[in-house]
Amino acid sequence: MRARGLFILVIAAAAAAGFGMPHLLPGYLVNILTEALIFGLFAMSLDLMIGYTRLESFGHAAAYGLGAYASALLLLSFDIPMLIVIPMAAIITGVVAMPIAWVCTRSTGISFAMLTLAFAQLFYASVYQFKDFSGGSDGIAGIARRAGPFGIDFFQTKIGYFYLVLIILILSFLFCRSLVASPFGQVLAGIRENEVKTRTLGYNTRAYRMVIVVLAYAFGGLAGALYAPLAGFASPELFFWRMSGMVLIMVIIGGRGTLVGPILGGAVFLFLEHELSALPMVRELWPLIFGSIFIAVILFAPQGLWGLFRSWREKRRIGVVSKPQSDAPHAAS
Amino acid sequence: MPLLECRGLTRNFGALVAVDAVDLTVEPGEIRAVIGPNGAGKSTFFNLINGMLRPTAGSVLFDGKDITGLAAHRIARHGISRTFQLTHLMPDLTARENVRLAALASSPGRWRIVGGADILERAGEAADRAMERLRLAPFASMKANELSHGDQRLLEVAMALAQNARLLLLDEPTQGLSIEETERAVQILREMLNGEDLTVMLVEHDMEVVFKLADRITVLHRGQVIADGEPEEVRQNAEVQNAYLGGFD
Repeated sequence: MRARGLFILVIAAAAAAGFGMPHLLPGYLVNILTEALIFGLFAMSLDLMIGYTRLESFGHAAAYGLGAYASALLLLSFDIPMLIVIPMAAIITGVVAMPIAWVCTRSTGISFAMLTLAFAQLFYASVYQFKDFSGGSDGIAGIARRAGPFGIDFFQTKIGYFYLVLIILILSFLFCRSLVASPFGQVLAGIRENEVKTRTLGYNTRAYRMVIVVLAYAFGGLAGALYAPLAGFASPELFFWRMSGMVLIMVIIGGRGTLVGPILGGAVFLFLEHELSALPMVRELWPLIFGSIFIAVILFAPQGLWGLFRSWREKRRIGVVSKPQSDAPHAAS
Repeated sequence: MPLLECRGLTRNFGALVAVDAVDLTVEPGEIRAVIGPNGAGKSTFFNLINGMLRPTAGSVLFDGKDITGLAAHRIARHGISRTFQLTHLMPDLTARENVRLAALASSPGRWRIVGGADILERAGEAADRAMERLRLAPFASMKANELSHGDQRLLEVAMALAQNARLLLLDEPTQGLSIEETERAVQILREMLNGEDLTVMLVEHDMEVVFKLADRITVLHRGQVIADGEPEEVRQNAEVQNAYLGGFD
């Protein structure tokens, strides 16, 4: 019940903010907000692995870059409407992720993190290697948001594109929320908590891990696929490990294992970075500020800002006199 | 036909022969205890049966089918569940969620990626029945790691029960419990065993527990079976006295 109330609140807030805001804001801010939402989606996709399955990926940029390059190349090479290209790019990312998932799930823990990183770097290097195809260090420019199907052209505008991203984010959130509460999601929770035990219960845990890696990449690819038509270009930086690190930090700051936390973490921090870096005073200081926030969250709110907010609400709800709630980071939402 | 049959089951760790050519059969409905001093190979023996370790030699037949060397999750799906000597739970899930996950394992709906509330509901009902059997119902909504050690041990048994397995392997169900907790656990286990038509193999260190629960005892010593029989026979056996029961009366 509590979760449902919260859920409605979030959706309502997102919708209200979404439907009012773009019309009041200058165009460049609409674009930044759109990018923030895309980054929220990207962070949420990583949360499926980190928060719900304890698969710490340090190479999630691979998903983002694959989605972005797939949508860029499809839009430039074929006469396919953007609304079809975007899901196609997500599916392509998922398909490419299958062998990656097969290799990476052979290990767990730090080796898993390193393997995911290795794949991302492999793509990064490949972009430079296959210049004819990928544009090399120049990336791919001039990506158009092509109209259609059926002559739909609303999503080509800045505001229209914002709505498209918002709708896709909400639908993706609803899907993932259902996923983590499903039987499949319960098995993931078992793997997160104790993989050996889950296996002896009769679950082929590696198969479950492979499926969630593929799904997380597909959603990460969806975010990347939305990014390319927004920015109008795709660059190798999208595959770079810095991207993987950023999104990982945002998941942890937002609150892993909550879906909402990483969405807000990803969106808010991307937005802040954009805005604060524009101020000459702050530009140099931003990494310092961001780093300090990260350290503070790790030390004082290991379940992230959303987790902190949730346990604060919980305490208020049950009153101060009762026993302290456990600080476990993975409470089901 | 025996439910479980081990033939010449052997496992080496380098030069050490942890389990040495063990022949053993368990009939349906039997409560079999495997006893032996520390390092006798009891837990390794369990790991060979449930697929966590591959045998170096020998075979395991379950219900007439050869399950030697299958992956642990496949053997579980054939109908063998187990508990661990050191408690293995999902610490941050509730007690009920732990048992529900065990019950879900035998449901064809376990791969449902979205929705599936009805599947979880049914698994939850099976979990409630298993928890009832082990008197864990009052703790259903507590996190597993907030339960007392004794209840955590029983929670693992509840999970094994909820798996709806045909053979339960219980690895020292009273390990680390106080005398009072052990008494309570034994009583609860006794009730569970009387109430259902179960086949159980249990490893146990505590002789009191073994003689209260088992109808047949196998004694392992340095990886080999040195005695096998009714509790009274085993108690009288001179070799067993020497190897193990010296301090027991």
